[in-house]
Amino acid sequence: MSVSVLFRIEDLLVQFGGLRAIDAFSMEVEQGSIHALIGPNGAGKSTVLNCVSRFVTPRSGRMVFDGRDLLAARPHVVTRMGIARTFQNIELCREMSVLENVLVGAMSQTPRYLPFLPGFARGRIERDAVMQAEALLERTGLLPFRDAKAADLDFGRQKLLDLTRALAAKPRMLFLDEPAAGLRNAEITALDALLVDLVRGGGLTIVLVEHVMQLVMSVADHITVLNFGRRIADGGPAEIRRNPDVIEAYLGTDAHAAG
Amino acid sequence: MFGSPPLRHQIVLLVLVAIGFALPPFVPEYYLFLLNSLMVWAALALGLDLLMGWSGQFAFAHMAFFGVGCYGTVILTKQLDLPFLLAMPGGALIAAVVGFLVAIPSTRLRSIYLALATFAFAEGARFVFNSWTGLTGGPDGLRIPTMTIAGWKMTSDRQVFPVLAIILAMLLFATQQIVRSRFGREMSAVRDSEHVAMASGIDVRRVKVLAFTVSALYSGIAGGMYALINSFINAQQFGMDGAVLALSMVVVGGMGSIPGVLIGVVLIGLLPVVLQTKLRSMQLWQELIYGVMLTLSVTFMPRGIWGAVTGALRGRR
Amino acid sequence: MLTLALFQGIASGVITGSVYALLAISIVIVFKSTEVVNFGGGEMLMSGTYLAMMALVAFDMPYVAAFGFVVVGMFVLGISFEAGILRVIAGRGRHGQLTLVALVVATVGLSYILKGVMRLFSYTEQARRLPSLFRGPPVEFGQVLLQRQDLVIVGIAVLVMLLLFAFFQFTFTGKALRAVSQNPRASSLVGIPVKRMRTAVWGGASILAGIAGVLIGAKFPVTPDFGGTVVLLSFAAAIIGGFNSLPGCVLGGVLLGVAQNLVGLYFSSAAIAVTPFVVIMAVLIIRPEGLLSGRSVLRKV
Repeated sequence: MSVSVLFRIEDLLVQFGGLRAIDAFSMEVEQGSIHALIGPNGAGKSTVLNCVSRFVTPRSGRMVFDGRDLLAARPHVVTRMGIARTFQNIELCREMSVLENVLVGAMSQTPRYLPFLPGFARGRIERDAVMQAEALLERTGLLPFRDAKAADLDFGRQKLLDLTRALAAKPRMLFLDEPAAGLRNAEITALDALLVDLVRGGGLTIVLVEHVMQLVMSVADHITVLNFGRRIADGGPAEIRRNPDVIEAYLGTDAHAAG
Repeated sequence: MFGSPPLRHQIVLLVLVAIGFALPPFVPEYYLFLLNSLMVWAALALGLDLLMGWSGQFAFAHMAFFGVGCYGTVILTKQLDLPFLLAMPGGALIAAVVGFLVAIPSTRLRSIYLALATFAFAEGARFVFNSWTGLTGGPDGLRIPTMTIAGWKMTSDRQVFPVLAIILAMLLFATQQIVRSRFGREMSAVRDSEHVAMASGIDVRRVKVLAFTVSALYSGIAGGMYALINSFINAQQFGMDGAVLALSMVVVGGMGSIPGVLIGVVLIGLLPVVLQTKLRSMQLWQELIYGVMLTLSVTFMPRGIWGAVTGALRGRR
Repeated sequence: MLTLALFQGIASGVITGSVYALLAISIVIVFKSTEVVNFGGGEMLMSGTYLAMMALVAFDMPYVAAFGFVVVGMFVLGISFEAGILRVIAGRGRHGQLTLVALVVATVGLSYILKGVMRLFSYTEQARRLPSLFRGPPVEFGQVLLQRQDLVIVGIAVLVMLLLFAFFQFTFTGKALRAVSQNPRASSLVGIPVKRMRTAVWGGASILAGIAGVLIGAKFPVTPDFGGTVVLLSFAAAIIGGFNSLPGCVLGGVLLGVAQNLVGLYFSSAAIAVTPFVVIMAVLIIRPEGLLSGRSVLRKV
C-alpha cells in the first residue's frame, strides 16, 4: 500500500492580540486515513480548523492541500478544492428543511452559471441534486426527516445533519469538529461505523478534532496532540496512549472523561 | 421553497393584470391613485425584502435608490426624450449600478457596515438631489413631463393603473423565480448561517453584493413607477421617513414571504389614509405610531402578520 | 485671514468632535457587547437634550441637578429598552442573520418612538438651545477666540471619557464587561452574569448619549430631527476606529468634527451632509479595519 501525504501544515502561527493561540504547529495527514487532532479544552484545536477553513488568517506558516496553497484561497474556494467541515456548535440553516440543508451543502457540486435560473428551468441538475441528497440522507439515517425544519430536529440529528451537509460537498478531506460531543453512546457507536465506512469504502480522508477519547482511540489511524497551541505528540494510537507528555497534559487531568 | 412555484401563484399574477385592465372604468380616480401608490410601495418593499428577509442583510438606502430611479427616469425622459419604457429601465439600471458601487466596499469586513454605509448614503444622496441643480432642479424640484407608453400619453391615474399592474406582476414573477433559483438558495444560506454558506463553497460576499444590487434595482424600478403617478419631485420625497415606512411594511407584514410583504404594504400603506380621517394631528403622531408598530412587531411577531396567521392555522390543524 | 479661520475651524471642530466621540463610544460599547448597531443613538442624544431642557426650564433645576436628571432618565430608558425588547428578541434563539436584523430594526423603531414622544412636548415645535453651560468672556489663544462654554464642553467630555476608561481598566465590573464582549460563553462559565451585564451596558451607553446631548444642546439649537444628523457623524467616527476601539472613537470624533468644519469653510455648509458618507466610504475602501487597529480578521465559530 503506497502512502501519500494529502494535507500538510507547516509552522503555523496564530496570534490573537498578544496571545499565541497556535505556535509552530505542524502536521501531516495521509491520504485515506482517519487522523485525530486531540487536546484539552482551549488547546487550539478549533483554531487550527478555522485556519484551514480560512475563517482565521494565521500570522505565518503554510498549509498545503494536494499541492495547492490554502492560504491563497478564500473560504468558499477551500470547499471547492475538496475540503469540507462540520461545526462544533452545530451550524445549520435553521429556517430551511433538512433536504434544503443538504442541497446547500451540495452547491459546490452543481454548475454555477446562470445563478438566477429558477429551479424548474435547471431541470435535470436540480433533480439530480435532490436524488443525491436523498441518497446521502438515507445513508446517515435522516431520510425520514427530509421535510422537517432543521431547527426542529433533536440535538443528535442536528449533528448528523451537519455531517450530511458536509458530505454533500463530496469532499476529499473532511474535518469533523467534535462530532461526538453531546452524543449518547449508541449514537457514538453508529458514528464510529459511519466514519470507518466512509474512509475504507469511499476513499475519504478524515481529520477528527475531538476530545472524546472513546471515538478517537477506536477509529484513528494517527493522532496529533495539541496543548497550549503547541504539538506535544504525534503517532499511532498505541504510541500516544503510552506517551508520558500526553498522559500528563491531557489524560492525567481528564482521565474520567477519557473513559 | 425550491423547484417551480405552484400554479396558483402564477394565476394570482394573471388576476392582478386582469384587474389592472378591468378595474379603472368602475372606480373613482382617488381610489385608483391610492392603489397606484400602493403598487409603487409594493415594488419597493419586495426589493427591500429580498435583501432583508431572504439574505438577512440590513440596509437603509432604499429611499435613496428609489430617488435615483425616479430622477433617472424623469431626466432621461426630459433630456434625451426617451419613452417611458426605455427611461424607466435606464433609471433603474443607474440605481443598480450605484448600489453595486456602494455594496462592494461595504461588505468587505463586518456585516453591519452595509447598514452603516447606506445610512450615510441616504443622507448623501439627498444632498446630491438637492444641490445638483442643473440635473435635478435642486430645492425647486423637477416637473415631470407627461410620459408616453407605446404612443399613449399617461395623463391620469386611470391610464397609469394597468401599466403599474403589469410592472408589479412582472416584479412578483421575478421575485418568485429569484427566491427559487440557485441564487435564492445562496441568499437563504447566507441568511441562516454565513459559516455554513462559506463551508458549502458559497462566496458569501458575492451573494451580499448581488442581493444588494438586485434590491437597489427593484427600488429603482419603483422610483420609475413613482414618476408615472406624480407630476413633481424634489429631494424631500426621498427622506428617511419613506425608508422607515418601507421597513415597517416588510417587518409588520412578514419578512421573507411575498404574501407577507404585500399584506404589510396594504396595511401600512393605508394606515395614514385611515388615520388622517380620525386624527387631525396625524403629522404629530405618525412617528410615534410607526416606531411603536415597528418595535412591537419585531419583538412579539418575528414573522410578521403573515407568519402569525399561517402559524395559527398550522397550529389548529 | 484664511489661516486664522482655519485655526478657528479646527478648534471648534475639536469641540463638536468631542461630543461626536461620546456618542460614538456609546454606540461602540453597545456593539462590542451585543453586536447590535444602535440606530437610535442619535435620538437618545436628542432625548438627553430635551430631558435637560425639561429639568432646567420646567423644573427650574440648576445645571448640576439637570445632569443628574438626564443620567437617571437615560439609564432607565436604556435598561428598559434592553430588558423589555432586545432581550426578548435575542431570547428566541439563534436564527442567523435574522436575529441581528430584528435587533437592528428594533433600534430603528426606538429612534422613531423617541422622536415621536419628543414631538408631543411643546418645547420641540421650534429649534431651541439649552441655557449656556458657562458664561464669561471668551478666552484668547493667540488670535483664536474660544468661548468659555466650549472649554467646559470639551472638559466635561474628556472627564466622562477618562472616567469610562478608568472604569473599564480598574473596576471589577469594567473588567467583567470587557470579558463579556470578548467571549460571552466563557464569561458566563466563570460566573459573570452576562445578561445583566448587557442590560447595564445599554444603561451606560444611554447615559453617555444623554450627556452628549446636553453638551451639544448647550451649543446648538436642537430639534427632534437633530439626532439623525449627529448619529451619522458618530457612525463615521466609530468606523474610523474600526467600530471596536474606544480611543479610535475619540480620534474619529475629532477628525470628523474638524473635517466637517473645514468642509463648511472651504466648500459649502450644505456639503457637510455628505462628509460622513465620504469618510465612511473612504475608510471602507482604503482601510476597512479602521485607522488604529492592526489587521486581524477573526470570525467566531
